[in-house]
Amino acid sequence: MGEAIVITSGKGGVGKTTTTANLGTALALQGKKVCLIDTDIGLRNLDVILGLENRIIYDLVDVLEGRCKVHQALVKDKRFDDMLYLLPAAQTVDKNAINPEQMKELVTELKKDYDFVIIDCPAGIEQGYKNAVAGADRAIVVTTPEISAVRDADRIIGLLELEENIEPPKLIINRIRQHLMKAGEALDINEITTHLSIDLLGIVADDESVISSSNRGEPVVMDPANRAAMGYRNIARRLLGESVPLMTMDKQSTGVFSKIKAIFAK
Amino acid sequence: MTKFLKNLVYVRGTKEGLVLQFDDQCAYVDLLSELKAKVSDPALDGSAEVQLHLGYRYCTEAQYKEIVATIQNNSHLRVSKMRSEVISVEESNKRIQERQSETYVGIVRSGQVVKAEGDLVVVGDVNPNGKVVAGGNIYVLGRLKGIAHAGANGNREAVIAASWLEATHLMIDDLIETMTDELTVLSEQPEMECAYLHSNGQNIVIDRLQELRFIRPQISTFKGGS
Ligand SMILES: Nc1ncnc2c1ncn2[C@@H]1O[C@H](COP(=O)(O)OP(=O)(O)OP(=O)(O)O)[C@@H](O)[C@H]1O
Ligand SMILES: [Mg+2]
Repeated sequence: MGEAIVITSGKGGVGKTTTTANLGTALALQGKKVCLIDTDIGLRNLDVILGLENRIIYDLVDVLEGRCKVHQALVKDKRFDDMLYLLPAAQTVDKNAINPEQMKELVTELKKDYDFVIIDCPAGIEQGYKNAVAGADRAIVVTTPEISAVRDADRIIGLLELEENIEPPKLIINRIRQHLMKAGEALDINEITTHLSIDLLGIVADDESVISSSNRGEPVVMDPANRAAMGYRNIARRLLGESVPLMTMDKQSTGVFSKIKAIFAK
Repeated sequence: MTKFLKNLVYVRGTKEGLVLQFDDQCAYVDLLSELKAKVSDPALDGSAEVQLHLGYRYCTEAQYKEIVATIQNNSHLRVSKMRSEVISVEESNKRIQERQSETYVGIVRSGQVVKAEGDLVVVGDVNPNGKVVAGGNIYVLGRLKGIAHAGANGNREAVIAASWLEATHLMIDDLIETMTDELTVLSEQPEMECAYLHSNGQNIVIDRLQELRFIRPQISTFKGGS
């Protein structure tokens, strides 16, 4: 029996979909069987980032409304021998086409066949959010070092803490630009984790190749030398229970090693 | 027999002004008609403030209003205060609740509201856009960075104290203070502070927590000790 993790943020455009694609890929590269679910109905793009857009036949709503079987809708990523699958979102209907009970049932079903079910949540706190968290066992909150993103993360964490079936959420800080943090122009990592008072799962550098690789349909994590990729790989290893120290963005220590406790170690 | 002989309303002059003392055993209608007759007496033509002492009579809100109206419509007297030796069970329960203290352990996050009838103790931070509301005082063992509303049921003596007071909005009773730059500069050291209503009744002011026992001595309920 695998586990389901929802990737959420409150604020839009902070990197939920990028995180879902890269974590999924990193876990598949580590030999785990992974199914990604895009719940951003009406605004899907997980398929594009993974380069699987052209292979979609059925989608999430088709499955939930019984027009096809789950396995017919799952798109296999051929690059990772049978390890990575995507259940795409529907593009033509709106978020109210599905409900949390249906999602819970589906995720429970998928957990039987996969080590990880990773759910990409739409922005906001309405119906789409409720659908996305319904079947999750854990939650990862993505934020960037901006006050507005951190405020929304705080709101989402508050909502997630009310969900009885979900473990306390963990944090990813995305798009870190070291020179801005140093200059005091962006919130620093300590400030954000203290403010939100939840465990930090990892940090990801802001890197142009994230954008270019997404455009090519190849998640950046496939490039072993890239700095953003390293962040995602470390997060994947922590999800698997390893205790990996927080990577430094430059030669100096950022002093947040101690912040990472035995994250996800059971 | 005339009403006056019953003498259900005594008029007394005291140091604090005129007092109307009501008989608390007679029928309410009798009391009211005698009251009307007494205050209509041309001898009482000066305008003055008057206190009402109801004794052990329980008056409903409507009756109380009727009494005040009877006085103010038939004389130049103004009712300044009302004293009664009895309250309803409901009122009594409410007062007990308001004296109780509730404790919340955790972070009050953006969009969340934590409410208490009496005092509220928060062990944790109150983040921006998070709100704490109490009928009594609010004590935050952590950083108060959101909104705090003390004395929400009309208690103007209520205070807000925090280990770190950086609230965006402070409210006491129906007064609201937004933390403008000026106030933030005044409290340049946000550690261990308290906010309370200034004696002018118009402004919320911030002071060091050490001052609290002088500003609101009644908060300390601790008796004895050595
Ligand atoms: N670490 C990064 N470095 C550079 N660009 C990034 C990084 N992470 C995300 N981006 C870019 O930011 C944009 C938004 O990312 P993404 O689509 O993953 O966000 P989202 O949270 O899923 O957005 P939405 O709320 O619209 O679903 C994309 O163009 C993406 O390429
Ligand atoms: Mg997205």
